[in-house]
Amino acid sequence: MRWIVFVAAMIVAGGAFAAGEHGLDVNRLEPGSVSQAEGLAAWGRIHDVVSHPRCANCHTDDANVPMWSGPEYEKPGPHGMNINAGESRIGAEFLPCQTCHATSALPNTVPHAAPHAGAPWMLAPVEFVWFGQSENAICEQMRDPERNGGRDGDAMVEHILHDAELRSFITWAFDPGPGREAAPGTLQEHLDDTIRWVAAGMPCPGD
Amino acid sequence: MRLTVNRVQYDIDVEPDMPLLWVLRDELGITGTKYGCGIAQCGACTVHLDGLAVRSCQIPAQAAEGSKIVTIEGLGTPEALHAVQQAWVEHQVAQCGYCQSGQIMQAASLLDTNPDPTDEEIDRVMSGNLCRCGTYPRIRAAVKTAGAKLRGA
Amino acid sequence: MTRAGEIARRAFLVGSAAIAGGVAFGLYAVRTPHANPLLAGLADGEATFNPWVKISKDAITLITSHADMGQGVASAQALLIAEELDLEMGQFQISFGEPAAAYYNRAMADESLPLMATDERWTSESMRTAAGSLMKLLGIQGTGGSTAMSDSFDKLREAGAVARETLKLAAAEESGVPVGELRTEAGAVLLPDGTAIPYTDLAVKAATLQPVTEVRLREPSEWRLIGKETLRVDMVAKSTGTMTYGIDLDVEDMVHAAIRVNPRKGGAVKRLDASNALQMRGVQKVVEVTGGIAVIADNTWRAIRAAEAVDIDWDDAPYPAEQAQHWEAVAASFTEDRLDRTWRDDGAAEDVLAEAGNVVEAEYRSPYVAHAPLEPLNATVLVGDRHTDVWTGHQLPRILQQHVAAITGHEVSAVRFHNQFIGGSFGHRLELEYVKLAAEIAVQMPGTPVKLTYSREEDFAQDFPRHIAIGRGRGSVANGHVEAIDLSIAAPSVSASQMGRAGYAVPGPDLQIAAGAWNNPYKLPNFRMRAFRVPELAPVSSWRAVGAPGAGFIFDCFLDEVIHAAGADPMLERIRLMEHDVSRKVLETVAEMSSWGGELAAGKGRGVAFVESFGVPFAQVVEVTDTDRGIRIDRVWAACDAGTIVDPVNFEGLIQGGIVWGLGHAMNCEITYSDGMVEQSNYHVHQGMRMYQSPEIIVRGLQNNHKVRGIGEPMVPPAAPALANAIFAATGKRIREMPFDKHIDFV
Repeated sequence: MRWIVFVAAMIVAGGAFAAGEHGLDVNRLEPGSVSQAEGLAAWGRIHDVVSHPRCANCHTDDANVPMWSGPEYEKPGPHGMNINAGESRIGAEFLPCQTCHATSALPNTVPHAAPHAGAPWMLAPVEFVWFGQSENAICEQMRDPERNGGRDGDAMVEHILHDAELRSFITWAFDPGPGREAAPGTLQEHLDDTIRWVAAGMPCPGD
Repeated sequence: MRLTVNRVQYDIDVEPDMPLLWVLRDELGITGTKYGCGIAQCGACTVHLDGLAVRSCQIPAQAAEGSKIVTIEGLGTPEALHAVQQAWVEHQVAQCGYCQSGQIMQAASLLDTNPDPTDEEIDRVMSGNLCRCGTYPRIRAAVKTAGAKLRGA
Repeated sequence: MTRAGEIARRAFLVGSAAIAGGVAFGLYAVRTPHANPLLAGLADGEATFNPWVKISKDAITLITSHADMGQGVASAQALLIAEELDLEMGQFQISFGEPAAAYYNRAMADESLPLMATDERWTSESMRTAAGSLMKLLGIQGTGGSTAMSDSFDKLREAGAVARETLKLAAAEESGVPVGELRTEAGAVLLPDGTAIPYTDLAVKAATLQPVTEVRLREPSEWRLIGKETLRVDMVAKSTGTMTYGIDLDVEDMVHAAIRVNPRKGGAVKRLDASNALQMRGVQKVVEVTGGIAVIADNTWRAIRAAEAVDIDWDDAPYPAEQAQHWEAVAASFTEDRLDRTWRDDGAAEDVLAEAGNVVEAEYRSPYVAHAPLEPLNATVLVGDRHTDVWTGHQLPRILQQHVAAITGHEVSAVRFHNQFIGGSFGHRLELEYVKLAAEIAVQMPGTPVKLTYSREEDFAQDFPRHIAIGRGRGSVANGHVEAIDLSIAAPSVSASQMGRAGYAVPGPDLQIAAGAWNNPYKLPNFRMRAFRVPELAPVSSWRAVGAPGAGFIFDCFLDEVIHAAGADPMLERIRLMEHDVSRKVLETVAEMSSWGGELAAGKGRGVAFVESFGVPFAQVVEVTDTDRGIRIDRVWAACDAGTIVDPVNFEGLIQGGIVWGLGHAMNCEITYSDGMVEQSNYHVHQGMRMYQSPEIIVRGLQNNHKVRGIGEPMVPPAAPALANAIFAATGKRIREMPFDKHIDFV
């Protein structure tokens, strides 16, 4: 199908953007150096971030519909304009996310504008669903390489650093621009919590 | 900064974050592309950037650098209408007409990848383009007519 | 100000007062035609026969003086002239012309009188004639109230016929062939031998002749263009990005301006610091304007960004700061001292309801709504030594001239207004603030053209929305039928608010509080309809169909409730109650179109509504499905009677679009105030309808109405009640407040 060519072109375009420093302090911890309790506390803060509308709105299920939720909206609902990102999760079958969400590492400065980031806008892969999921379900998903993009703990940390280099989605969530509530805490704190959670062996509340 | 708009190269000196929309309208005097909302809610500013329909109000000049841009003026002219424009004229879609540059650019992009869209596909692709006059029934019909023209049907 | 202007200031658009003022001018002035404004600018060899036709050796120019906001009247006006002048579409150019008394709008008078459109008693018709005469005396040139076609239908055909006959006379004198043997066709006079003399070749000769004024208008059977499929004159330009709207203008040496005006509308500036803005790239100047500042820059985006960077403390709004206070003020106005007018008191509604065992009672609300046409407000003004030039799209050119003149200090006649095609108005371009602000900026930049462009956010913040209203109904039933309705509607006066800003007082009751509620030609056995006037709140303005979208929603939905309580069929009971033949036919037609009464699939429901506005009886049936994602609007059948249909293609499109407008705003649009400011800043929170929500819309225009009516607005009022009634039919849920998405989800 023609849109597959299109997807490939977009991924290349996105990859070509990589530039810049992540600007974060990486305070690596030895595996096992963090207690289960501390790890769970770190997870709780991670959950506050990933379940926040800035993150969860684009981690949705196989209906492939991004959500509009958060304090800016009277009630949660599907993204306006009948948006469906399709199985491609980038809208290639219908209206590409990039039609409105530009790929640019420049800061978001215009209230209520379509947010942009340094990577091509998209829904997270369908197995990464967070929206409407329980805390434990999200935790289980995030530590399961079958459902987290094949990442182990270190790769999880690298994922954040790479995102920061691109000024991509995680980075954006903490600095979404005027008119949108940021995810709680800072990107640095989120990185620190992720390192702690990984060092504690990625504990989940249901363990 | 260098842009190619409708096959013409322009060298411009603007802020990196000036939206492409305003580069087109105020720096280059290409005004068929319209300002409606500035936040990607209306689609009146839709242009093709390297073949992809985008809201030019959201594209920083910096991100358009080196790209090939096609505006409504580059799609077709009154003397040589693009198939989508022909269909728009045949169905007499426009009322105030202010959104129609964007509607037409979006429809042309849709038909480029899917020349025979279903109603559902048309609704999915075109619902980001706001028409305050409510010309949607005719847009839907014109998209289908244009698709048939492009397919040679 | 002229004498006529003085009179207008005291009594504009008000029936009885206006007629009293008109008498002073005497019959002579009423009968004397206004001067032809085309004569002044006529070049050698150019001919003009009346204010609407100009012919040179190169071109035929038709003046289409009614503003075109997208409703297609530029084309329709030209078509009416071309019909009689025997021009094909495409053989002429159009111009909006310059403001002139000759372009006064007679039909606007009809809308200024407290008469039912169906009331054609000779006394009522005399009042209309008299009010029309006053419009002429005052030279009120305006586009609005869906009057362009009713104003133009005879007038422009006559203009075309006069031009035709004069051109034939010119051809007769040139050729020696008697006039009686000449015909006209496709822009030329035809001699008996088949020789065609193009009109343009006759311009020089025609310029020397007195126009022939004894003309016969063609019979409908002879029409080539009226009622036929034609291509709108603006269609190709609007499909190719080549239409130049006001916002696209580029006047030589022009600078760009953006404003920030107190979002607490009418409030002052307490303190401002523009130092940051002044350092931004491209910024030339920051100037003060009424209630705020303007930034002048070399580019629109730079001007808008810099305006946002000016640090300003705003003073309070001259109206309640919170939305709840606005509703409280309306709710508290159902009192005898605020009774504006009892519009209907048929039978004995009060007594019947006092005796009735079961009384249906309900309260309805209609919110503030924004105009928000897609082309943001803009105006370009150049203040020169002797003239002021204004380029913008506006619906009241001569009133605009007066307001601009007062700012720039030039004579009214030295304000040269260049009307532009408008990217949507819906009432927005009746307002003057944006033009006045542009003039205030330009007067501080003499000799430099200034284009003021509103940001979308500023357009929302400074809009004067549709007024809010509350309706309270009491009704009773007897023997399976509607027995009595007592309906009260309270609202602030949009007429007083809007005309007040234009500088005119509006004495007497406000016609808009009850418009769409009192004037429907039903014969209810007992019907009282009272309007209560809320003291002025936030400024409000005419929003497409003005009073009727709110009051029509309240009236028709409440009628539906009472019909339901009676156990009657919503369609059959409306038809039974309808007293006016033309209107009854409209209801019967929509019933037939929709196969009303047939079986519906599970989850579906249908509602009917009928509202007459602007003289057009209009009925709609909406069909919805209650899905697991919310209400989906599947289909709408629309029938109306606006008399002769001038342009059937445009007629259908305009009605479909207006129904989308009416449904969309009823679904999800409202304007609310907090801290004195409008909370909605852009289309993300005032969405209207999107394509995927847009139903199939089937339109039929009957032509039994012997008056030609306009169709820019009358489709709007029935849309919301038909939808609410359909939702009730599908779900059992009565929604009594717009927007409906406060109470139910939509797909």
